[in-house]
Amino acid sequence: MRKLILILCSALTVSCSTPARSTEETTEAPKERIVSLNGTLTEILCASGLESSIVGTDVTSAFPESIQKLPKLGHVKSLNAEGIIALSPTMVFGKKDEIKPELEKQLIEAGIKVLLFEQEYSVDGSKRLIKEVCATVNAEESGKKLITKIDEDLKGISSMTHVPRVLFIYARGAGTLMVAGDGTQMQKMISLSGADNAVNGFPDFKPLTPEALLEANPDVILMFESGVESLEGENGIWSIPGMADTKAGKTKQLVVMDGLYVSGFGPRLGQAVTELNKKLISVNQTSN
Amino acid sequence: MRKPTHILLVLAVLLLGSIVASCALGAVKVHPTEFVSILLNKFGWSDYNSFSAQQEAVIWVIRLPRVITSVLSGALLALSGVAIQGLFRNPLADPGIIGISSGAAMVASIAIVISGTFSFLQGTFAGISFLVIAAFAGSLLSAAGVFRIAREKTKTNVSTMLLAGIAINAIAGAVTGILIYISNEQQLRDLTFWTLGSLGGSTWTNAGILLVLLVVTYLVFFRLSKALNAFSLGEQEAQHIGISIESAKNRIIIFSSIAVGATVAFNGIIGFVGLVVPHILRITGSYNHRFLIPAAALGGGLLLSLSDLAARTLVAPAEIPVGIITALAGAPVFLFILLQQKHTFR
Repeated sequence: MRKLILILCSALTVSCSTPARSTEETTEAPKERIVSLNGTLTEILCASGLESSIVGTDVTSAFPESIQKLPKLGHVKSLNAEGIIALSPTMVFGKKDEIKPELEKQLIEAGIKVLLFEQEYSVDGSKRLIKEVCATVNAEESGKKLITKIDEDLKGISSMTHVPRVLFIYARGAGTLMVAGDGTQMQKMISLSGADNAVNGFPDFKPLTPEALLEANPDVILMFESGVESLEGENGIWSIPGMADTKAGKTKQLVVMDGLYVSGFGPRLGQAVTELNKKLISVNQTSN
Repeated sequence: MRKPTHILLVLAVLLLGSIVASCALGAVKVHPTEFVSILLNKFGWSDYNSFSAQQEAVIWVIRLPRVITSVLSGALLALSGVAIQGLFRNPLADPGIIGISSGAAMVASIAIVISGTFSFLQGTFAGISFLVIAAFAGSLLSAAGVFRIAREKTKTNVSTMLLAGIAINAIAGAVTGILIYISNEQQLRDLTFWTLGSLGGSTWTNAGILLVLLVVTYLVFFRLSKALNAFSLGEQEAQHIGISIESAKNRIIIFSSIAVGATVAFNGIIGFVGLVVPHILRITGSYNHRFLIPAAALGGGLLLSLSDLAARTLVAPAEIPVGIITALAGAPVFLFILLQQKHTFR
């Protein structure tokens, strides 16, 4: 008898819980609930019309502006698996080299689809990433549009008569100044925009020293908006030791752009390259 | 002995409360009845299920192993803290002083920085990631180095050991510095968060290994409590009482190194637990290691489980590195005790 009651009870709960579930889901328009753990991936997802499906992001997801009001899960290297699961996502997007294997395992065991992507920092790499991301969310059509947009935007580049040597400085306060070497997003952006990177011969980033700065002797300094802020404005840049004796320092040639925009290699790549190209041309003209 | 048993009882109750709270609270809401039915289901005692698969995964895959790991790690750190402070007769000593944490940090940073070049290093061995194995090897290596330097024929010179620890710490710090210098942005982030500690990667495998370690370490240290009490009189005096001081020293150093090495390897560096828990316990006025050792195991588990609860719930759905919490909670208590003692000395 007791067994029968138990069976009845469980049958009841099952039959009750299933329809309750589905109504809960239908009240929300989008089917998927997405957590995106990379700024560029968030941009791609939003640009292909999935912004309303996104329920949470990491700290680097700063564009579009409207995404900022969603729950922030913190830095990709110190994520809380339970915090992600609490947003009850169906899919989690991230970059292969950023997501820790333990986290991936925990999410998969909670029944969440984890989609990890590799990104190559080039025009083709961006297009491939857009294609791959859009394929996972059945948004191939919007993906194609985004890719054509990049190509169209890139047509806006004008060639430069005098090719400037550009030095990108990654700043996090006056104590931490780094310059971008081979293989970095910024080196790729500089060459895509038709200019030369003022430093080369080393991979990744290197701390900036006054001697190296003089040796590089750049025509133009390129920085992120956040970097300029960390130096408390433009004056902070010109007072970097050694800067005053470089060509850029003497003529105060500076280009400032948003970090995610200019280094994200996402759907705004073509736009960012063209804008950088325009800005470099205009400062180049004033200096010559 | 009446008072110490009371304190142990209070600590045990507090620890139990902290475990219950840690299991109950988190970013994902799980009702106590759901929690119980998940457990009953897991042990096959009931097939009544009123919870979602997601809740089951959160409790069974993430929260429970994490809570258990926090209790075990805290207990191991505090136990080693008591034993090392007793051995060095120095309340400022903590397991870090013989190079255990810095050695682990050095090898972990090597592993993080070169794993980009040698991708096989990102893999796992018998379910444990290479980083964990490397960090554990590093902690044992540097502790063994310090131990070897302080060894004189059949004796271990404790003051040489302190100084050797400082030197090894400096070397390990410098090597870590070089790796920070050559690391890229990603690796630097990995390194930084590693040195701030996190229990986010806890698994049942980790918890199982730590449980075995805790049982062994506890038994070894508890049997040494008489020796540790004798040490407080001085090495010579301890020997006169009839304590085999050399074997006691060896056991304390070897078992603390393994215990702390394993917790650091699994969780990164979690500071202050090993230093502050013994201090708090000594406020009770009892310096007897028969009390201090079980109390440290309970108190360490309590401190770390509460700290981790704070780490993962204060800014949910994000998380604060737990090392920051233990330092924030531990350091003021430490200062308070120092000030109190200053008054009593007068």
